[in-house]
Amino acid sequence: MSGAAAGGFEPRLVGFLCSWCSYAGADKAGVAQMLYPPNVGIVRVMCSGRVDPQFVLAAFAQGADGVLILACHPGDCHYKEGNRRSLLRQALLLRLLEQFGIRRERCRFDFVSAGEAEPYVRIIAEMVDTLKGLGPLQPQGELHGAPHD
Amino acid sequence: MKTAVYFCTCGGNISGKIDPGRVERNVAALHAGARFQQVEFLCSEEGLALLAQDLKEQRVERVVVAACSPREHEGTFRRALAGAGINPYLLQMVNVREQVAWVTEDAGAAAAKATRLVDAALRRVALHEPLPQREIDICPDALVIGAGPAGLKAALSLAAAGRKVTLVEKSAVIGGLPVRFEELFPNLECGSCMLEPLLGEVLHGASAERIEVLTLAEVVGVAGSYGNFTVKIRQRPRFVDPRACIGCGECVGPCPVAAPNDFDCGLGERKAIAIAYPGALPSVPAIDAGRCLRLNGGECAACREACPVDGAISFEEAERLDERAVGAIVVAVGGGLLDCAELPNLGAGRVPDVISAAAFERLLAANGPTGGELRTAAGAVPRSVAIVHCVGSLERGARDYCSGICCQYAFKFNQLLGKRLPGVRRHHFYKEIAAAGKDGFVLARQAQDDPDSVFVRYREAAELNVSLESGALVVRTCTAGSDATATAVDMVVLCPAVVPGADARALGAVLDIGRDRHGFFEERHSRIDAVQSSVAGIFIAGACQAPMDVREAMNQGLAAAGQLLAGLVPGRKLEIDPATAAVDAQRCSGCAVCVGVCPYTAIALAPDGRTARVNDVLCLGCGTCAAACPTGAIRANHFTTGQILAEIAGLLA
Repeated sequence: MSGAAAGGFEPRLVGFLCSWCSYAGADKAGVAQMLYPPNVGIVRVMCSGRVDPQFVLAAFAQGADGVLILACHPGDCHYKEGNRRSLLRQALLLRLLEQFGIRRERCRFDFVSAGEAEPYVRIIAEMVDTLKGLGPLQPQGELHGAPHD
Repeated sequence: MKTAVYFCTCGGNISGKIDPGRVERNVAALHAGARFQQVEFLCSEEGLALLAQDLKEQRVERVVVAACSPREHEGTFRRALAGAGINPYLLQMVNVREQVAWVTEDAGAAAAKATRLVDAALRRVALHEPLPQREIDICPDALVIGAGPAGLKAALSLAAAGRKVTLVEKSAVIGGLPVRFEELFPNLECGSCMLEPLLGEVLHGASAERIEVLTLAEVVGVAGSYGNFTVKIRQRPRFVDPRACIGCGECVGPCPVAAPNDFDCGLGERKAIAIAYPGALPSVPAIDAGRCLRLNGGECAACREACPVDGAISFEEAERLDERAVGAIVVAVGGGLLDCAELPNLGAGRVPDVISAAAFERLLAANGPTGGELRTAAGAVPRSVAIVHCVGSLERGARDYCSGICCQYAFKFNQLLGKRLPGVRRHHFYKEIAAAGKDGFVLARQAQDDPDSVFVRYREAAELNVSLESGALVVRTCTAGSDATATAVDMVVLCPAVVPGADARALGAVLDIGRDRHGFFEERHSRIDAVQSSVAGIFIAGACQAPMDVREAMNQGLAAAGQLLAGLVPGRKLEIDPATAAVDAQRCSGCAVCVGVCPYTAIALAPDGRTARVNDVLCLGCGTCAAACPTGAIRANHFTTGQILAEIAGLLA
């Protein structure tokens, strides 16, 4: 990644944001011109319920050090309960990631509303810090007892 | 494939942080064939004209616009593509303003991030497919279920706009609950005086020829979807022909049957043939098939013999099953009132002179069972009346909502009792007082200022006990933190919670619309879309959606009519957003996981049960089904797995 601080590890982060709440929250951070690390690339989906676990696996397989899934707050989903479905999937996804040797801290699910510019920026900053602490995702896995394939 | 990137500088908002030339060079190295154009304000009139010209001249087939948020201008640029003869879905926007220029400190990092985002968009847009805008013919006519305030207002508004309306009412008369109430809060207006002009308008007004009123009828089946529903309606026999009957009522007197009068909440008696109440519309009696001797094997024909019109009464009339084609449905079946016997400590049905508010309304009514005379079961004039608010409402852990209407009618009772029985003591037992609105608190204030009105607060129904103690009616309270009280009264009026109607579950199943945790029909959004049900083309109005008063119900009826008129316009086709889900039948195993996750009942198994099908009229394109499908048989148009994976690959390249 260019533009990174010289010599330091700059993690690569992919964020899946629902169009109605979280993506709007990110837009609000933009309008408020709140600075945050440039490490995140955002994929807009209409609903967090669209986030297929294979998208997350593909991101890790192609070099992401972390993945974010941001959804509407409980009860606020534009599609009634897509966020709940996404959250239910997240629990399974984390177990799957551990089986691949990927720490659960690398995949964060959170709620960001259309007005929550500050929480959005905080989540990005926290996630980048976490990933810097963990270091680059090693292709062979980072957990003991993880399958090596 | 000719692809072009239009990079908006946004008058320096974007180019002040991101050097477009640098992005152009980076992108050129990654996508050699892509055209790259800088424009100062792409959304301006000049910018859009330039875009249109360039799209045509360069014969562009795929478009990336790097500018502001797609939430702001995706529609603008889609229209620009359509204007240039390009399918609007062959566009991908890159949000370089809100996600890069405005939030990134370092210019080098900003250019690098913008490059990644444009690269991802170019990879994605290469996989975009033209999605045809589908249009379907629609039927502009409407079905309204329920002829109470909300349904009447909806039917009249629709008919006034020239639409044909089928108004289905379960009972024998129209008007709903408020026709039972002689005086309505907040200004003690007479309920039937207020409603009768409306009822007359429905039956005989300027638009009446467009309203088909089916009484004693219910909807038993619905097929199709928004724009084209077919509804099955079952109509029970009235046994009196409305076209022949002159409404004289001669048939009622000779009927030998006496039964509790359900219109009067079981107080007083009615005959097996009856007009629900004096002045009821339509002014045609109906025979209660469950009570009529003749219809239960007897020989009686007293009513028919008394009828001055030949052929008006027919014991042979049979049930009818009809079908109607409509484009949309307004559900306005109203709510119900909690059966107070569910709270046995309050004495309803067990202790004499403990009655529900609805029955009390009938006791107060001049056309009620006592002609408006208030008497106890023993025939005495009550000197002291307890009015228990919040019965079953605001119950923690169960029915935790405020029913919203009870305070105002309870204070109406306070006022009416004081006027009719000067000096009568009124004891209000309440949890909370809720009487909002510009004229909502008038009656409450009058009660509070009345020296004969007493207020006692309680928290849960379990803290109250109503019983006979040595022949006297006593209300006891034992609220934690307050002294226990015992109040001797002559009569107890219980104000029950507004609950979903008894048929809400069955009707919800027939229409396949969602219900909330209390059982009311669920709205799409509680503030901005409160009359839209979970299914497109089915609207919900009045107390079937939430507890509400007559004014709110009327407004919701009007709102539902407005939405219907805006959505279904004669001569105009219904446009279907093509960004919906679609099933590949070859890959579908018929597991029906998608059917369960769809929030809009847009997916169903085909009749053979082997594959799922998406109704694109109902689908709103959330994509949850595509993520849940275990075989990858569902594609979310414009958010396909391939498109999203290409975008991910670009972000990480």
